[in-house]
Amino acid sequence: MKTTDFKYFVIVMNLALATACTKVVDLKLGNDTGKLVIEGNVTNKRGAQFIKLSRNVAFTATNTYPTVTGATVSVSDTTGKIFPFVEGPAGIYSINSMAGTAGRTYKMNIATNGSVYTASSQMPRAVKLDSITEKVDAFDKKNNRRQITVHFQDPAGTPNQYRFILTVNGVEVKRIFAFNDDFSDGRYVNLDLFQNDIDIIPGNTVTVEMQCVDKTIYTYWFTLMREGNGFGGGVAPSNPPTNIKPAALGYFSAHTTQSLILKVN
Amino acid sequence: MPRTLLLIFLFFAVFSAFGQKKYTISGIIKDKATGEQMIGATVRIKELPQNGTATNSYGFYSLSAPKGEYTLLFMYIGYETISQQVSLTKNQEINISLTSKAELSEVVINGNRPNNDNIVSPQMGVEKLNMAQINQVPVVFGEKDILKTLSLLPGVKSAGEANTGFYVRGGASDQNLILLDEATVYNASHFFGFFSTFNSDAIKDVSLYKGGMPAEYGGRLSSVLDIKMNEGNNKNYTAEGGIGLISSRIKVEGPIVQDKGSFMVSARRTYIDFFLKASSDSTIKGSSIYFYDINAKANYHFDNKNAIYLSGYFGKDVLALKNTFGTDWGNSTGTVRFNHIFNNRLFSNTSLVFSNYNYAVQSFQTDNIFKATSQITDFNLKEDLQYSAGSNHTLKFGLNVLHHTIAPGDITTSSTSSFNNKSIEKRYGFENAVYVSDEWKAGNKLTFLYGLRLSGLFLLGPGTFKTYDAAGNTITSTTYASGASVKNYLNLEPRFSAGYQLNDETSIKASYNRNTQNIHLLNNSTSATPTDLYVMSSNNIKPEIADQVSAGWFKNFKDNTYEFSAEIYYKWLQNQIDYKDGAQLIGNADVESLLTYGTGRAYGVELFLKKKYGHFNGWIGYTLSRTELKFPAINNGNYYPARQDRTHDLSVVGIYQLNKRWSFSSVFVYGTGNAVTYPTGKYNIGGLTTFSYSQRNGYRLPSSNRLDLGATLEGKQHKKYHSSWTFGIYNVYAYRDPYIITFRDSKTVPNTTEAVETSIFATRIPSVTWNFKF
Repeated sequence: MKTTDFKYFVIVMNLALATACTKVVDLKLGNDTGKLVIEGNVTNKRGAQFIKLSRNVAFTATNTYPTVTGATVSVSDTTGKIFPFVEGPAGIYSINSMAGTAGRTYKMNIATNGSVYTASSQMPRAVKLDSITEKVDAFDKKNNRRQITVHFQDPAGTPNQYRFILTVNGVEVKRIFAFNDDFSDGRYVNLDLFQNDIDIIPGNTVTVEMQCVDKTIYTYWFTLMREGNGFGGGVAPSNPPTNIKPAALGYFSAHTTQSLILKVN
Repeated sequence: MPRTLLLIFLFFAVFSAFGQKKYTISGIIKDKATGEQMIGATVRIKELPQNGTATNSYGFYSLSAPKGEYTLLFMYIGYETISQQVSLTKNQEINISLTSKAELSEVVINGNRPNNDNIVSPQMGVEKLNMAQINQVPVVFGEKDILKTLSLLPGVKSAGEANTGFYVRGGASDQNLILLDEATVYNASHFFGFFSTFNSDAIKDVSLYKGGMPAEYGGRLSSVLDIKMNEGNNKNYTAEGGIGLISSRIKVEGPIVQDKGSFMVSARRTYIDFFLKASSDSTIKGSSIYFYDINAKANYHFDNKNAIYLSGYFGKDVLALKNTFGTDWGNSTGTVRFNHIFNNRLFSNTSLVFSNYNYAVQSFQTDNIFKATSQITDFNLKEDLQYSAGSNHTLKFGLNVLHHTIAPGDITTSSTSSFNNKSIEKRYGFENAVYVSDEWKAGNKLTFLYGLRLSGLFLLGPGTFKTYDAAGNTITSTTYASGASVKNYLNLEPRFSAGYQLNDETSIKASYNRNTQNIHLLNNSTSATPTDLYVMSSNNIKPEIADQVSAGWFKNFKDNTYEFSAEIYYKWLQNQIDYKDGAQLIGNADVESLLTYGTGRAYGVELFLKKKYGHFNGWIGYTLSRTELKFPAINNGNYYPARQDRTHDLSVVGIYQLNKRWSFSSVFVYGTGNAVTYPTGKYNIGGLTTFSYSQRNGYRLPSSNRLDLGATLEGKQHKKYHSSWTFGIYNVYAYRDPYIITFRDSKTVPNTTEAVETSIFATRIPSVTWNFKF
């Protein structure tokens, strides 16, 4: 219900703001930049795994981020095995062939500029993404806009957390979709991926990636999802809680992944 | 200290009984035309200027004086003063009916010497709104609104445009106790805060206490908004109403038994949804969007000593999109009151009060069916006594037994729904209080109003109660049987005000009060969403505590035509509540694990200049203030401005009576922008531009300002009916008041980001309402 509930408020706020209008404004914003950003992912899909290091920039700068090079990056698992990551393109550290195993805890270890950053994440059991479907958007029937729904059976008796990535014709929708089974444990779940970033219309090809993530990572995405919706639920925005120690921007996630493709008619 | 206070208290109460032989005059003051009892009407003895009193909520007054010949003055704003000679040789009952100046069709409002209650009374930090003024102040869509008019007073800040929430002296909006005929109104907003739940047709009297809180009130930190409904005309049947752009309203009132009992029923409903029906889009056509509310009241006076009052309120908002989702919410309250006058000195009121707030959110989509409901229900027994002990002391004492039942969430679904049925344990508790206070006239110039309130929260089973560590993990879990005591809190709340009258037109006052709050609103949304979640103080949540000191200088001039006041205050806040990052409050059994606690401080200066009478009247209110919070888990444990912190807040209200038929009004407001959190950097996560933050509420929305105009045209006098037109223009110069600023990837310049300002009413909004009365 979290997402659903939240979706309604966004809709309702949009209704309430129907008379509203917007304009782009210039603001004097502070600069707290040059901070380390870590984005680490290990999946259950055999192949290259990536850990990216960069730094944040000022709001007024372009969206290009300085990379952090020359770091020592590795991941270890509960069996004691160490997977070294090597730097390819600047700031992108990878290992060629690795697959995580559900149930195992992975620990990331990064040494850069004299500091050591660590984070652990437990890869959850994979839940099968059953299907994805589309339907006419109830709020935009006129333009024949479509809404994507994902369907899966949530396993009963265990807490499960999900993150979805929606791509339309190869372009990632700039919305975060995080969902957990607090209200849906053991149910067959039909979840609408509500968004207004890209209009999905007949002829589009839609890809949905489903990730099963651990609790900490869910909270990370859920916080970003709430803030990313503009209204932010009214909460003062903050950096989402991270599993990286000492605290840095970003996260380290060991998750399962699977994707389905749908051609919209 | 409390014991000492009590001793002092008893001493004076007893002491006063040994004075000179005195006689008591008591009675009820009513409106001559309607028979409505008048609240706060003044009774004065001309020969003993310090010997004044005011009627209580039921129009009752009592005052004492030594044997002698006196001239009694009975006064109320907008009414003819009555002066009556008495030779006081025994106790007397004098019931008075005052005549409204409007009834005399007098345009020029002058003649009698207006009163100087604001100078004489030791009470400070109180704002009383005159219903006639509320009706003239222009508001958006022409819906006259008590809460929006209140926010034009110093020390009171609107929570934002299109928001009936208000902040008093830096307090959060859930720290206001809103009472409608003594019943708590939990959510005072319709349609996400665009309108308040109070239909001003049904309202008789509005008082807001923002400091120097009298001991008979308690339960919230910041303020008490005490709203009293009309009793109903006990002389004649009348009907009145209005037809506006957004809603229509009607009120019917009349005698049940002539001069003994009356009733009043007032209702209003919006009709935006009728326009939706005209839409060609089937989804919009099948949608609902409306609210309505009904106020009803009846009373019966058995004799001069006994009276019963029944009053009720029911309001509901409905918002639904056909076959998709719906939400509805509403308050209902009911009050039964019994007045008994034991003798000419002792007045008693017993109230039984019911209050309920509930909401439901529903999804109708076949594979996602659910209905989530939540409610809070109160039963409250109150006994309030007022005793006039000699000419120098008025004692008030009483008790309050309030039972809360909170159902935080029940979710029902279908077998094919994505969601489970879920029910979160109900919580039960008593919020009880006893109080005593005394208004002591300690001489011609010095008056004290002091008292003590003992409040308690008794959280009861059944239920399972957990404790949590800092990370929110469960440490202990204990199950309690029905009625078993889970956690008790007792708090002593001293209240003290003193007023020293320098002369007829000048006084200085000071006050200290402690307030506690045991029922807390959890809603991490700033807009008035209906999903309010209330929690009581518990094994995890401690009572919120506020200590406030204030001082003020009060000056009237030009024969009390002008009122000026300057008040300063400082408030210390303890056990304030905020949420941890990523907190999901709705439908969460472990909601208390998501809370974090801190302290706060608020201080400010309020300046107020009011012209009370004349063709031209109105006021200027200015507040300079600061409100800061400190939470170990937020902003590195440093003080940061609360969202409601507003450095400057200015309101100018002017009403001009041109002639018998035309009157004009205008409102100008200016305020510093809300404290908000803006990004101090950006980075890329998962291909998305993500913003980084380093300081909580370190920035300000741009300041806001607005001018509204209104005009009223009274219809020609008819014997049988009367009509009038109200015109308004909201936001005359179409100022874009910033509502929120959001950040996103630029839509025009690739690879950059932009800040976007959203305004709700970036345009002027005209309105017209036709009002009738017959």
